Amino acid sequence: MIAYLTAIATLVGVRALLTLGLNVQWGLTGLVNLGAVAFFAVGAYTSALLAVGGAPLVFAWPAAVGLATAAGAGLAMVALRLREDYLAIVTLGFGEVLRLFLLNEAWLTRGANGVTAIPRPLHARFAGHYDLFYLALVLVVVALVYAALERLRRSPFGRVLRAIREDEIVAAVAGKPVFRFKVQAFALGAGIAGLAGILFAHYLAYVEPNMFLPQESLFVWLALILGGSGNNRGALLGSLVLLGLLEGSRFAKDVIPFLTGVRLAAAQQILVGVVLVVLMIRRPEGLLPEQPGSD
Amino acid sequence: MPPIAQYVFNGVVTGGILALPAVAFSLLWRLLRFPNFAVSTYLTVGAYVALVLNHGVRASIELAWLGALVVTGALALLVDRIAFRPMRDRRPFSLAIASIGVAFVLENVVRFVWGNDFRSYDVPVTRGMSVAGLRIGRDQLLILGVAVVLMALAQAFLLRTRLGIAMRATADNPRLAAVKGVPTERVIALATLGGGGLAGGAGVFLGLDASIDPLMGGGLIISVFAAAILGGIGSAPGALAGALIVGIMEEVGMLVVPPTYKTAIGFTIILAVLLVRPTGLAGARS
Repeated sequence: MIAYLTAIATLVGVRALLTLGLNVQWGLTGLVNLGAVAFFAVGAYTSALLAVGGAPLVFAWPAAVGLATAAGAGLAMVALRLREDYLAIVTLGFGEVLRLFLLNEAWLTRGANGVTAIPRPLHARFAGHYDLFYLALVLVVVALVYAALERLRRSPFGRVLRAIREDEIVAAVAGKPVFRFKVQAFALGAGIAGLAGILFAHYLAYVEPNMFLPQESLFVWLALILGGSGNNRGALLGSLVLLGLLEGSRFAKDVIPFLTGVRLAAAQQILVGVVLVVLMIRRPEGLLPEQPGSD
Repeated sequence: MPPIAQYVFNGVVTGGILALPAVAFSLLWRLLRFPNFAVSTYLTVGAYVALVLNHGVRASIELAWLGALVVTGALALLVDRIAFRPMRDRRPFSLAIASIGVAFVLENVVRFVWGNDFRSYDVPVTRGMSVAGLRIGRDQLLILGVAVVLMALAQAFLLRTRLGIAMRATADNPRLAAVKGVPTERVIALATLGGGGLAGGAGVFLGLDASIDPLMGGGLIISVFAAAILGGIGSAPGALAGALIVGIMEEVGMLVVPPTYKTAIGFTIILAVLLVRPTGLAGARS
């Protein structure tokens, strides 16, 4: 049971990072991104491949965050000039094309077999209670990112982002280089998603392309909207509730006899879809709405 | 290896199938001002409705096709009432997100009931023809013929009938149209019913031409998007032309890249169009 809870808590931490990343983009700045999973994958694969290739983690991890950030900046520079509805499909498509790349370019990514035996940091040192150590590591990272983002939200930079979200024309009239701020916000969110990917890859010690399906981006959205977008605490709460939903429904298998594996997965996803639609209609501000003027 | 012309022909058939949801998607986008991601999932729904009729009550495929058209249209209308109508005045992106949720629910209901297996209809096996070195299936010709007729009917409806004109007026300027007495909600209901029906019918075609599985429709969303953007949002003939171009490029593209990269071709088309003309080829207003 302890092992199970530790595993769940670790994954909640990874999801919380993804949600915090999307909160910088959408919650704070109002930028549409349906491809959060792409930057998650870039982080996971970059770090995994470098580490398996023998690079020390102190090099692999910053490189992975850097590449995810750069990918975010690149996509933002191309796509952020587009209208919101076009941006939705471009980011969604980006995530899917990236997954196809991971699947097909086996010379680089090992294709459908995935990357195995990804080294786990300080494994020898904490042998015996390694999972607890890793959970602590994830929680420390989440806490640091959360604290940094809270500072950022209240900083002049964060105020500009929120001004852009509310009305970018006003922000531009006030002399702010709106496009540059948007690219920076998008890249920052992508970098945080990349960080989540790193922690994910080295926790499982294995990654493969089908871990990065488009639906993962949808889960991030659900967590953000559930918790309350624009609000970092909401992002944390949303990730927790989402995993509660997903994991809780797993126990339905013991109660309802005809649930096969495929059916259970389908039922979970039906639940996720229904909650998302109902939330969008009934409570788009989420469980913990952003407080106006909360500087 | 078959000649290039074979790939082009296959692309025309794919394009003909793609045109139906593309027109539905494009018109609904213009009318309701949000990209409805559930449209491509209506293909899956239609394909399985026809599967039930075809396998369950032994209906002929033609009858099953009609059934799919009607049931999917009705389902689209129901979805609109439950999910989208309460959100009419919200920003387009909120509706787009809700439509992704809807697509997710529908796809997984199908998966829950029928599982992930690939299925096909019980249809009499027909021999393909060989014309000038091309393999041409009877189904393919039929699909293409019906798709063209449906497109022509849709266009005639939009141009000639009172309701069609009302629909275009609402798409252009909903407030002005409402002031002039156009019953906005009725127009939306009709477009949703028709669009859902077209997509459902296309799903049966896709099931005949390829195979039936829970991801068959949802996996096409990028191609449908590409066709609509290429043709200009809100233009039925544009969406048809766009769908043919996307279909042909996806099939011919397989000569150059592995088939698994099909989606990437649609994505490249979207990027290319949007980067050259950020508002789409026909320059639809925001």
